[in-house]
Amino acid sequence: MKRSVLKIIKRPIIPALLAAGIFMLLLTGSPAGAADEYNCLMCHKHRYSGRIDENGKRWNYNVDEFLYNHSVHRSIECRDCHSYIKRIPHDPVTQNVNCGNQCHIKPPFAQEKFSHEKLIGIYNQSAHGIEPQDSEELKNAKPFCKYCHLNPMYTQISEKTVPFKESLQRCFNCHPQRGVVQAYKHMAHRLRKKTSRSSQEIVQLCSTCHADVALMKKLNVSERALTAVESYNRSIHGKLVRLGSQKAANCISCHASNALHDIYKKDDPRATIYKDNIAKTCSQCHEKTNSAFINIAVHPSAEREGDPIIYLVSIFFRVALYGAVFSMVGLMLFETFGRWRDGIKLILINGTSWRGQSKPRSKKEK
Amino acid sequence: MSTFSKIVSKPIDILTRAKAQEAEYFTHVDGVGSVPRDIYKHVKSNPIGDLPRYSVHIVIQHLLVFITFIVLAVSGLPIYFSDLFWASYFVSLFGGIDVARFIHRIAAFIMMFAAAYHMITIVAGTIQKIYHHEFDHKRTQLPRLKDLFDLIHDIKYFLGRAPYRPKMEKFMYKQKAHYLAIIWGNFVLIAAGSVLLFPDVMAQLFPETLGKILPSAGADTDSYSAFFQDLARLMHADEAVMALILLAFWHWINVHLVPGRFPIQWAFLNGKITREHQIEEHFLEYLNNLREIPAEREYMKNLLKELGIDGSKALSTADQDASFSQPVDAAPGEKT
Repeated sequence: MKRSVLKIIKRPIIPALLAAGIFMLLLTGSPAGAADEYNCLMCHKHRYSGRIDENGKRWNYNVDEFLYNHSVHRSIECRDCHSYIKRIPHDPVTQNVNCGNQCHIKPPFAQEKFSHEKLIGIYNQSAHGIEPQDSEELKNAKPFCKYCHLNPMYTQISEKTVPFKESLQRCFNCHPQRGVVQAYKHMAHRLRKKTSRSSQEIVQLCSTCHADVALMKKLNVSERALTAVESYNRSIHGKLVRLGSQKAANCISCHASNALHDIYKKDDPRATIYKDNIAKTCSQCHEKTNSAFINIAVHPSAEREGDPIIYLVSIFFRVALYGAVFSMVGLMLFETFGRWRDGIKLILINGTSWRGQSKPRSKKEK
Repeated sequence: MSTFSKIVSKPIDILTRAKAQEAEYFTHVDGVGSVPRDIYKHVKSNPIGDLPRYSVHIVIQHLLVFITFIVLAVSGLPIYFSDLFWASYFVSLFGGIDVARFIHRIAAFIMMFAAAYHMITIVAGTIQKIYHHEFDHKRTQLPRLKDLFDLIHDIKYFLGRAPYRPKMEKFMYKQKAHYLAIIWGNFVLIAAGSVLLFPDVMAQLFPETLGKILPSAGADTDSYSAFFQDLARLMHADEAVMALILLAFWHWINVHLVPGRFPIQWAFLNGKITREHQIEEHFLEYLNNLREIPAEREYMKNLLKELGIDGSKALSTADQDASFSQPVDAAPGEKT
């Protein structure tokens, strides 16, 4: 055994070949090609392609192939979304992308082509959907798909937390690996959590508009909605989310069902926070939800003055705090002063700390 | 007076002051002699501690509460002050807020265990003492009117209006106040903490219980859950902050940093108190020690002899004058 090992070391060609082989293996593995039937990337691959328009706004026309290949939409042709492009090279783009388009992907077990249309239907009925009677201001303020869903071209979705290779072993028995893995990659982060974003990001996202008190006032929201972000941040949910908790409730944990886009106003019977639905919403986390529990303020008010008893208790605690601290510390300092006058020294040395001469106590004694 | 003070040495100085001031200066103890009130200025003490003060159970309970309190404070404060910059650093000590909350609960349960352990110790110890006819309510934490007078007397002493500190029992006024504060704090923190930890259960429990106590509350009871939750949020945080500030700015300094206790008082580890401290602040408990510990009796007897204080009979104000002549003469002789 020993001799054979020595033999190999003596002839360096074998380990060298082995190393070269491993190295080559690492380099191989074909990169996943982007769905680019019409070769859009011929032009759009260039890094600095773009222009500055009449208003001075900068437009970036570059599409990073690597990032796109790792995005959610990696299998979608460019023209599935940018359907207004009829010829190449194309005219200046005037239209926005419509997420309700049908693309050329057929989901498994479905007959129609895929589209986000149904979801948009739900969304349009929610509190964020644009209604005909809305003012121009309100129409502009309401978020559209891409406001919350960042352009996924530049967003890499990290699937590191999902060990799909392990969990999908059983699926591979019947399903071809490629399709299942891709479907799973697309789905799995939604199976584990409500969103792929962290709770902090959700709160941040909602706060961009809802924390803007001036904007909210302009849009005539209710008094409670005006302070919703502020009061949420004061609640235990808000505090824990701010400190990084992934368990505590964020905005959409309560305000949307798992369909996620159905955010309705409080008085809408479809709303998760409608008075008849609220127990069910709370019970997602608080298992023993009851009729009394749902009265607890999730967005606690700022003022402790709201309830006279609570206000009195808070005053009591404030008085107790300052009273106790100042009286006890004061008494301690006073005591130390009195004992120091009577001749005590700081440290107990040779069995005594009373090594000093006591100061004269009163004029009479002198 | 001035000529007199030239020749006297230290021990006699005690007596001259006593003569002028106090009827209760000497305390006669059988088999020891007359113990002067300010003998604490002349005793020898071991900094580690001479006399027993706390049983091993109390020491264990204190350690449990001490450790869990720090853990609770470090894991709980960042939640209350979550918008301050240091909050996230404290949380990262535990590896995330979800872990910190879990540790907070574990520590809380250990602290509650310590509280229960303490109750058992106190109740069982009291029963045992009653059984052996040794129970004395003066040696317990029960507040008495005397504590108020002791406080007034002590303030007089600090002002220089009284010559000596009051004769106090095993637990003096500030210790009793602190003990009551701990009972109150534990009650508030455990009650409010349970409301925060089990909001759903408590929301039902509280109004139902309240509805039974106050039948007039009737249908309104649903709104009580919000009220109690708000109250718990307020009380848990405020009480905890108060406890922390009191412990940090008063208890620790008062116990370890004031003169005579500096740099550390060992009682929280070995349950022992120095002789000097015992006589100064817990004179009546020291008399109990003299009665109960033969070695201590021997020590004090020898010390009194050494200082030239006659222990054969009790001294009253009236006959102090008469008896002074002897120790005054004897003292210089001893010195030489």
